[in-house]
Amino acid sequence: MINRILTMVRKELIDAARDKRSVMAGLYYAIGTPLMMCGMFMMLISQLTSPDDLNIHIQNPDKAPDLVKFLASSGINNGASSETPGLKVKEIYLTIADDYPEQMAKGLRAEVTLVADNSNEKLQKSISRLKKQLQAYASEMGSLRLIARGIDPRVVQPLKVVVEDQATADSKGGIILGFAIFTMIYAVFISGMNLAIDTSAGERERNSLALLLSHPISTWQLVMSKIISVTIFAMLGLALILIVSKIAYAFVPWQELGFAVNINPSFMLVMLAVGFPVAIMAAATQLFVSFMAKSFKEAQSYLTIVLLLPAALALAASYDIAPDTLQWLPVSGQQQALMAYVKGREIPLVQLAVSSLATLGIALALTFGLERSLKSEKIVFGL
Amino acid sequence: MHKGKMNLSRLAPPIRRSLAALALMVSTATLISSAQAAPESTSNHAQFVTQPCYIDGLSERLQCGYITVPENPEQPNGKVIDVHFAVLPAIKNTHPQEALLAIAGGPGQSAIENAAGFDRMLNKVRQQRDILLIDQRGTGKSNLLQCEGEGFEGALAIDESTFNTAEETQKCLDTLTKDGTDVRQYGSINALHDFEAIRTHLGYSKLHIYGISYGTRMAQLYMRHYPQHLLTVTLDGVVPMQQSVIAIGDAIERGFDKLLQDCEANTLCQQQFPQLAVELSSVKADLAAQATISQVNDPLTGETTQLTMTLNKFLGALRMALYNPNVRALIPHAIHQAAQGNYQAIMGLYAMTIDSTGIAMGMHTSVVCGEDWQRISPEFRAQVTRSYFGKEMLSSFDQSCNVWQMPAAPADFSAAIDSDIPTLVLSGELDPATPPSWGEMAMEKLKNAKHFIAPYATHGVAYQSCGNDLIHQLVTQLSVETLDASCLDKDVSRNFYLNASTVEAVPANTVTNSTKETPSAGAQL
Repeated sequence: MINRILTMVRKELIDAARDKRSVMAGLYYAIGTPLMMCGMFMMLISQLTSPDDLNIHIQNPDKAPDLVKFLASSGINNGASSETPGLKVKEIYLTIADDYPEQMAKGLRAEVTLVADNSNEKLQKSISRLKKQLQAYASEMGSLRLIARGIDPRVVQPLKVVVEDQATADSKGGIILGFAIFTMIYAVFISGMNLAIDTSAGERERNSLALLLSHPISTWQLVMSKIISVTIFAMLGLALILIVSKIAYAFVPWQELGFAVNINPSFMLVMLAVGFPVAIMAAATQLFVSFMAKSFKEAQSYLTIVLLLPAALALAASYDIAPDTLQWLPVSGQQQALMAYVKGREIPLVQLAVSSLATLGIALALTFGLERSLKSEKIVFGL
Repeated sequence: MHKGKMNLSRLAPPIRRSLAALALMVSTATLISSAQAAPESTSNHAQFVTQPCYIDGLSERLQCGYITVPENPEQPNGKVIDVHFAVLPAIKNTHPQEALLAIAGGPGQSAIENAAGFDRMLNKVRQQRDILLIDQRGTGKSNLLQCEGEGFEGALAIDESTFNTAEETQKCLDTLTKDGTDVRQYGSINALHDFEAIRTHLGYSKLHIYGISYGTRMAQLYMRHYPQHLLTVTLDGVVPMQQSVIAIGDAIERGFDKLLQDCEANTLCQQQFPQLAVELSSVKADLAAQATISQVNDPLTGETTQLTMTLNKFLGALRMALYNPNVRALIPHAIHQAAQGNYQAIMGLYAMTIDSTGIAMGMHTSVVCGEDWQRISPEFRAQVTRSYFGKEMLSSFDQSCNVWQMPAAPADFSAAIDSDIPTLVLSGELDPATPPSWGEMAMEKLKNAKHFIAPYATHGVAYQSCGNDLIHQLVTQLSVETLDASCLDKDVSRNFYLNASTVEAVPANTVTNSTKETPSAGAQL
């Protein structure tokens, strides 16, 4: 019996390998997604980080030459005063009030106006950097004014707030890794999809299903062999995306955002182990849905809709939406456990076990459903 | 036995003890150190522990640990001490076999206590490499040799001339040696072997070194004794091996001269304080003749207290203000006010120097008495005593070193470093501790080194300029050839304070009644 299944699996895989479309569909996703994400993040990082030399518009700079120099010493320059043509000047305006020197001389507050669009993501970092520097300048002057009056500046800093952040460089990259993990989990769905359709709706379309069933094999063996081959494809896709991710993510300068994204071998092993039940469920689901369709195209459109569900679950988990419920559900449970692992926290073993069992349960139920449907003449003869 | 002559001004604000203020040294740290000095280790193998930790000023989790080493390397079975270290882990560790070892100054500052400053300054290096900080033996957590004093209550009122250095030093020595500590084991060479032991234990095959101030001496010793483990070296505010730190008196004088020149060259400052040099001399002469006693409000408590303004307090406060470019900006105003008989600003500056525990005076004395005091010649002595600070310092060390009884460092200790390790040498033109000429002296036999002088920096160039970017370049490129130091010339100088409030030109018709602030003040209930 095992032998027969193996023979069938071999046949399915040879079939699939001959069908370039199935192979390539899996490959495109597994190779393309990490590369695309890396490109995206590289662009994002260059946008999110404030440039070393931040050029802004300073209006009325002669009223506060010391402030202007202080800002310049931390790399915030007055772009208007520069002679360099083609200099990139950010849309941030700092206007120094006309009475700035008078107010300062009297020991009063001197006004500077900061004009910028804080909803512009490209400016946010730069704006907060400028604000921070202005604050630093003000507090430095405040301290020196107190010293000049014979007062210890510490008396106006009554609170010393000590922050002990439990994040690590790895866990700070959690959101990005959460999304990376999502793409990996999704790989098991995408990689096997074309094969699943081809081997089910495709067989129906080509009318080869009846022929296959006329061989001395049980529908059970047939279903098993199809699920196994689709699962193998899904796992191959997962392995591939892991390898590509490991190589590609190393090239992204995450450290500029202050964290690290490491895909190490132990994570890859955990990912493969946790992804295995999901791959089985993905295979069973895809075959079950595809067998209901009469043609390749029809199956494709059904599956697109069905695949939204695991995608939604995984995404919700990666963005921490309703985590208490999601940790028990299939796909989202695994996603959460993997994120915990990446952040160096304890893996929620009970939740992982429950969601993995649920995943296998669904797979089993769908397998029975498949086996049943293959006994129906409607399906077999495409009526 | 006093004065942190070469401190990391920017790491900790210039809050160092003024001259001969030994009695004011308070430290509870000796208690801590004796508690730590009872480790379980009996073997002569250094024991190694590391665990996650937090350090003041940094919110993230770091790795801390210590190794246990014999206090006296000649007696491996004798007393042992724990030498503590901290690792600021690389953000993205692309070179796990390398680390940058940052060495603090003083002598006597704790590198770990200054972690936040190192982290900020070395931020780019840290993106790809670990930063290793070690509390050198006798400092910070590593069997701190701190002298206890009478407390700060009397700090403003005390007249330093009544102070008996020899007696206070003896008291300090008696306290430190109670637990069996041998202060003679706290020189630079022993500390260097601790550093190397920590490198081996942490498994770094190569190190980059950044040394600031006295830390440059440790860096140079590393170059001499373990060159095979070094990739690059940065010496910032250099104490060349050939130089005794007691020569700092001249450097301080030079720092004052530079300040007067700066003010004269600056239109605003010159107009506001046209007689600054004269005023400085007259205050010095007055205070040298007699201290001024007045009733003041304590800078911290606000209570009425007596201020005995001595020459020592006056110059000490100004000297420490010279370390920081931003505090330095207040000096002309402070001198001018003092010349009018108002010591408010001087007291403010002085208060900043009082209660710093930044320098472990016991360790400081061990280093200076062993490595700097004994090498000085009669000619040198005559030269040094020409300046106020040189004279004070020398007479103080003459007394404390007699008590301390440090063996002299070997004669070849003060030889120039002969090396071809890529070395970046940084000096600040305005440095009141280690002037550019000292950097030049360090270059004597460095075959693969470049010396850059930052025109607007004081002590600690990497903290005040693009010097830290140069370090990052050196660490990544492993060569000084491609370093472009033109960015050091960027004018980052600050305006001087023209009164107690402003650094900008005071408008001619500054009227006193303000309309601007009244509405907001009135609206507040």
